[in-house]
Amino acid sequence: MKRQSPGALPLPAPIVNWFAGVGRASTVTLEHAGGLGLLAWQILQAIVGLRVSLRSVLNQMYIMGIQSLPIVLVTGSLAGIVTSQQGGYQMTSAMPAYVLGSLVVETVVLEMGPVLTALVLVGRIGARITAELGTMVVSEQIDAFESLGRDPVAILAAPRVIAGVLVLPLLVGIADFIGIVAGMGAAYLTAGLGVDSFLYGAQLFWHSWDLLYSLTKAVVFGLAIPLISVHMGLKTKGGAEGVGITTTQAVMFMTLTILILDAMFPPLMLN
Amino acid sequence: MIEYRNIHKAYDLPVLTGVSMRVEAGEMFALFGPSGTGKSVLLKTTIGLVIPDIGDVEVDGVSLYRGGKKALETVRNQVGYVFQNAALFDSLNVFDNVCMGIPEAELESLPRNEAAKRAWEALELVNLEPRDILERLPSELSGGMKKRVGIARAIVGRPEVLLWDEPTTGLDPINTAAVERLIKRLSHDLEVTSLLVTHDVEGGLTICDRVAMLDSGTLRFCGTPAEFRASPDPVVQAFVDRAAAEAALDMAAND
Repeated sequence: MKRQSPGALPLPAPIVNWFAGVGRASTVTLEHAGGLGLLAWQILQAIVGLRVSLRSVLNQMYIMGIQSLPIVLVTGSLAGIVTSQQGGYQMTSAMPAYVLGSLVVETVVLEMGPVLTALVLVGRIGARITAELGTMVVSEQIDAFESLGRDPVAILAAPRVIAGVLVLPLLVGIADFIGIVAGMGAAYLTAGLGVDSFLYGAQLFWHSWDLLYSLTKAVVFGLAIPLISVHMGLKTKGGAEGVGITTTQAVMFMTLTILILDAMFPPLMLN
Repeated sequence: MIEYRNIHKAYDLPVLTGVSMRVEAGEMFALFGPSGTGKSVLLKTTIGLVIPDIGDVEVDGVSLYRGGKKALETVRNQVGYVFQNAALFDSLNVFDNVCMGIPEAELESLPRNEAAKRAWEALELVNLEPRDILERLPSELSGGMKKRVGIARAIVGRPEVLLWDEPTTGLDPINTAAVERLIKRLSHDLEVTSLLVTHDVEGGLTICDRVAMLDSGTLRFCGTPAEFRASPDPVVQAFVDRAAAEAALDMAAND
């Protein structure tokens, strides 16, 4: 039996375990926060020091942007169609039909466009980056870069983060546009709302600030996804199993981060 | 010359505890030891891939952990590292992989045909036919070819020190013998200091001038191959006997 120090309260094991769990979770969270901060600082140094290859950035922009376009178009369209159908279903006869235009545009631009695009990129790009860099870690390719006097942050991390920040606003802009067009089509087909009425309703409650809000979200998500995925990839331990575990953790971490950041935007930018 | 001074390294448990060792200039030196005794960790401290908790490493007079970033850069430029599984970059072809071995500043100022010539020569030195493989990706090479390309990448920068991390692991006996001959020939022809971490005790004893053995993170033995074989230390003897038995089993399995 363990001896207790004088004055210590005898705590039941579940409570002790709960505190231990909280302690472990806090330690892991702080480690990740520190690691992300350090990585961001190293990336900034690489950018300022002009050590990032433009060719690598363009290559990453192609992978993240052009190759993601089909899935972003589909997601954006469906977001607009679903919003339009749901909005039409909820509307009562006491409300003018053109309000549906405003509902679709505001929902797509403020919320659905940036968040769904970001979540799609978490799966398509974030998971890919973590798995790719994780595999490079476990096969000693990152060590090889360092042994050859090359900086893995400048070569691998910075191009991905720069590309994410540049590409996501473009993809979100496209998703917003296609979502509105698809929503307009759905409103016409399901609620019989004409294009003129839809656009009238859309303009009624439109603020230019809404587009800026949408694109600002995109920039922040575009920074978060590659930064977290690179950080997690470079922290991979173990073999193939380690890559799998880290990739799953990274996807969860990125998804939660996107949703938490999304919840922080209204009080910061809409009030 | 490489000098390890009182190297301590611990992860969850201690891996290296006060290892001090010296590899003389131009020497071929093998480091043995059971798995998990910190051989590769010690090798990685030589170029800052693993930072020791305590201690310092000096490579040709440059103190790695007291000299700051500049010292690390200098050491990495004069050391070639051959990784256990070659660690070739998946997305680059053989030519680009080998060219990565040329120090960055030198590569930037080098005309492409000069870089190509250096890569070509390095591949020929490791007995590969450059014409056949320069454009190939690592995934299109056999295990033995990957190792050779990894060696070519390590020597193309004209290093003064070569570090070999289990270069024969995963190879069949014929390729193992060929790589061992290659290590000996390159170390001699290029006049470099070679430090070889290996499980292949017999091979290491045959090709190296001196050997050392790590056991549980400490230096158990350091001397010539003849002294190693004749060591009265029971731990060394047991290791030699086990290695001989494993080699005999490997031979039998391959026959």
